[in-house]
Amino acid sequence: MEDIYAELLQKTATGDQLAFKKLYEETSPKLMSLCLRLMRTEALAEDVLQEGFIKVWEKADTFTPGKGRALTWMSTVIRNKGLDKLRSLKTKAAETEIQYEGLEFASADLQPDNMEDLSQDVKGLMACLDTLKPDQKECILLSYYYGHTHQELANKMGRPLGTIKAWIRRGLEDIRPCLT
Amino acid sequence: MSNVNNRANNSTKRYQNPELFEQLAIEYAAGSMQGRAKKRFETLMETHFYLRAVVDAYENKFATLVELLPDAKPSNQVWAGIESHIKASAPQEKKTSWWKTSFFKQGFGLAAMAIVVSAVLLLNPMTVTPTSYAAILESDSNVAMAMTKIKKSDMTLTVDIMKKVNVPDNMELTLWCHPKDGGIPMKMGTISESGKTNIKISKKEWQNMKDVGFLAISIEHINDNKIVKPSGKILLHGQLTTASLN
Repeated sequence: MEDIYAELLQKTATGDQLAFKKLYEETSPKLMSLCLRLMRTEALAEDVLQEGFIKVWEKADTFTPGKGRALTWMSTVIRNKGLDKLRSLKTKAAETEIQYEGLEFASADLQPDNMEDLSQDVKGLMACLDTLKPDQKECILLSYYYGHTHQELANKMGRPLGTIKAWIRRGLEDIRPCLT
Repeated sequence: MSNVNNRANNSTKRYQNPELFEQLAIEYAAGSMQGRAKKRFETLMETHFYLRAVVDAYENKFATLVELLPDAKPSNQVWAGIESHIKASAPQEKKTSWWKTSFFKQGFGLAAMAIVVSAVLLLNPMTVTPTSYAAILESDSNVAMAMTKIKKSDMTLTVDIMKKVNVPDNMELTLWCHPKDGGIPMKMGTISESGKTNIKISKKEWQNMKDVGFLAISIEHINDNKIVKPSGKILLHGQLTTASLN
């Protein structure tokens, strides 16, 4: 599948503000969705999205098309921005807006229509994750999308902390050969 | 004091175990590394380029998960904030501003600038056959890390790594010349992790240089002589340009 955003990101790197605006319009809904899950309040999510896109503008010239897709590069930049913010705030539990929970969007029952829009990369990743036990897969996805700590996952899933840590560690160990 | 140094050395050695740092890299990329372990790992990534490259690769894998999310439109205020920021910071100092990097602050940049200036002053690529080429190799974070010179006078390619690149025990750095139009790169040889490496080049290799677009240094398993293109991560890369060197 062609990387439809790579050209816009490369134009952004040359200072093309129109290309950057188009890139924002096309990708911000997915990236906002990521920020909402990570930050769990709309205000914080929008802060992170804004700061993240400013970083994308400033760092667009470090994107290398051959090494990954534009959307994944941008989501890494913005997610790292969100994680930095969470680290500095240390208040996320108190501010949680519960509507941003769950993993229905990543369920194994994705409709064929939805599957068509997905890249081979994410299909490959999901195939790797599907080789794990459902609880392990859930822990890894919750950790990625929501930035949950091990303790938060233990509370959420009603399992001992040690079990959660072992699930994640072994799960990631098991999918490593599949990912490379 | 020596205990502290020993601990630091042991810690560094631990991270040269590929099994261990691959596992740590995937944990970091998936977001499951936390607290002090995460901070320690981030500090190590700043000095161990291979670690950074492995993490980048895993981050790329996991970042595809964004595709599964349902859309959520942000308010118009977000773009307004972004737009006002980029307008306020105009005129853009775009970009590829390698000359502003720590490479120059470290004093290595003068040599590079001398090459660029002499290339501009002395060489007209339309009329003169190049007698040398040069490239500044940068890391992914756009920090200039190495200088490469290729001279016809002694048929030598020299790579000068300014800041040591940490490489695991069973691996080595390999230099590649990639053609402008794509295709199979020329494998030039193994590069030292720090300081200068001189490689003698053949007449044919010299002639091929005019078609080379960029140079890259990848990390490869030791004695893996069969590879014809980079199989490991690309740590440094840079555009090759004609130059006039003494």
